[in-house]
Amino acid sequence: MSASYASTVQKRSFIDHMAGWINWSRFLFAIGLFFFLTSILFPFYWMVSSSFKTTAEIGAREPVYIPSALNMEAYKELFDPNHPSYQDFGGNIINSMFVAIPTALIAVILATLGAYAIARLRFRGKNIMLNSILMIYLFPGVLLIIPLFAMIAQIGDRLGFQVQDNLPVLIFTYLAQTLPVALYMLTNYFRTIPSEIEQAGLIDGCSRFEVIWRITLPLAIPALVSVGIYTFMIAWNEFLYALVFLNDHNLFTMPIKINTIYNDPSPRPHVVMAASTIMTIPIVILFLSLERFLEEGLTAGGVKG
Amino acid sequence: MTSTTETSKPSFIQRWRSLHAREARLAWYLILPTALIVFGVVIFPAIFSVWISFREVGLSNLNDVFNAPFVGLDNFQKVFNDFAFKFQGMQSWGAAVTSIVYSFLATTLTVLIGLIAALLLNRPFRARGITRAIFLFPYVAPIVSVAFVWKWILDPRPSGVVNDVLISLGIIDLPIAPLATRGLALVIVIIFEAWRYFPFAMLMILARLQAIDRTMYEAADVDGANTWQKFRNITLPELRYVLGAIFLLRLMWTFNKFDDIFLLTGGGFGTKVLPVLTYEFSFKLFDFGRGAATAMILLLILVIFMALYIGIVMRNVEEE
Repeated sequence: MSASYASTVQKRSFIDHMAGWINWSRFLFAIGLFFFLTSILFPFYWMVSSSFKTTAEIGAREPVYIPSALNMEAYKELFDPNHPSYQDFGGNIINSMFVAIPTALIAVILATLGAYAIARLRFRGKNIMLNSILMIYLFPGVLLIIPLFAMIAQIGDRLGFQVQDNLPVLIFTYLAQTLPVALYMLTNYFRTIPSEIEQAGLIDGCSRFEVIWRITLPLAIPALVSVGIYTFMIAWNEFLYALVFLNDHNLFTMPIKINTIYNDPSPRPHVVMAASTIMTIPIVILFLSLERFLEEGLTAGGVKG
Repeated sequence: MTSTTETSKPSFIQRWRSLHAREARLAWYLILPTALIVFGVVIFPAIFSVWISFREVGLSNLNDVFNAPFVGLDNFQKVFNDFAFKFQGMQSWGAAVTSIVYSFLATTLTVLIGLIAALLLNRPFRARGITRAIFLFPYVAPIVSVAFVWKWILDPRPSGVVNDVLISLGIIDLPIAPLATRGLALVIVIIFEAWRYFPFAMLMILARLQAIDRTMYEAADVDGANTWQKFRNITLPELRYVLGAIFLLRLMWTFNKFDDIFLLTGGGFGTKVLPVLTYEFSFKLFDFGRGAATAMILLLILVIFMALYIGIVMRNVEEE
């Protein structure tokens, strides 16, 4: 008797507990979170899982939600020279690196110098310069590509180089997209370093350059790294300029190569997904490992995307 | 020289001055490489493209572009009369109208979803850090990858996920090709934009949400306000400025966007926007003058957005 009484009390309190826990706002919150997480993660799951499917699974009567095994067929087409339709994707990865790394390095070095001047030194025309850089943010890439193309064709004609199929030319045009972002983010960062630290260094007899080299730059390393990764990501992901400036298959960067594979007459989505996976994973890992810095940069600089 | 050494005061001022001058000179040295490159790859090309838009420039005279014949407003005339550009009723909107409709709807949806995501992430729960990181995935992933995944999910073949789900739910009987259906394609592209860019809005809104003074909510609790009233009367007014800023910024960027639509639909099926049209004129027809004229029209519409941005948003920044 007393035992059953105790159990009903316990039962009621459990239901009460549940009822108290599940209210409308929690319910909506859970539904909302579930909706967001599935719609974000499913495309990424689909990309990775499709890359491990066989041709038969890709062309099946209905979608295969879980591949039967970790099938490397798609990756073999990308990397194995013995595959009948070998794509030499390794070369494309190297091209992307060859473009993205110098772009990031040059942008960070030049932007550091410029941003320091804008943040710390007083000179005429400073605000005009900063504002015009902000304006560039809003410029459409398609607007610049026509004159750039004509201009570089002209210069190349005089100096004897090709405007198309020339990776250094591509790096040069990427500076148009990365320098303003880098300059803006770094200027914001340098402003957060108290100038008293530098003044102390100046009073102790350091020159301006010594102050920059020994005090400011070491303090700015997190910002330099995140700006470097940002500019790297911009160059790594860039599509339009590479599409216009590259014709030779051996010089294609990854985005253009993936586009070419997709538009191949015989559709091979698993190969496209394998190449996309290879292109996406380094970016996501870089991002996750430096999320803190990058988020601050995102909100401070409003990186164009 | 001698006059400065006579009294100590002028020499002090002069030294002060020269320090100033040295600083300014150093500043110019530091900024010069960046300024030169920005001038060379952005400012000069921008001006040059105005010039090109009034000239006849094709592949044949690209090597001699500075002597290209002047054609007045011919290029603009050609663009305005192009069937891909001009509005011809509801069946064929033309690039200008499509661009404006697309950017406004996509931006509105982006900001709205960003707001919902920010409100979700603003309340504490376990695993919030990792959830937040996952929410940023669509924004950091390369555009080529995500665009092709979407295409593959929407694939018209029976192995496409969306077709499979819709058929098993009994909504459709036969597979459809959403990205190759006029109207539906535009809707999908708008949803894609919101999916990809909501994290940007979310981050900005989240930063602002966390800066709202908590005591206002406590005061509202004391007054017996419910959740909706608190949202309506405290949260929204506090977010008003940041929502406006994100809206205009994203509006301009969406208006300029080429990659997304080009990769998803190639600009077909009622999704041809001005950047895609600019590309087609320039690099499919190789009529650079006409391409530049299209870009000018794009820029003109953009300048109106910019004027709004500076007039409304920048002024508020200074007030804060």
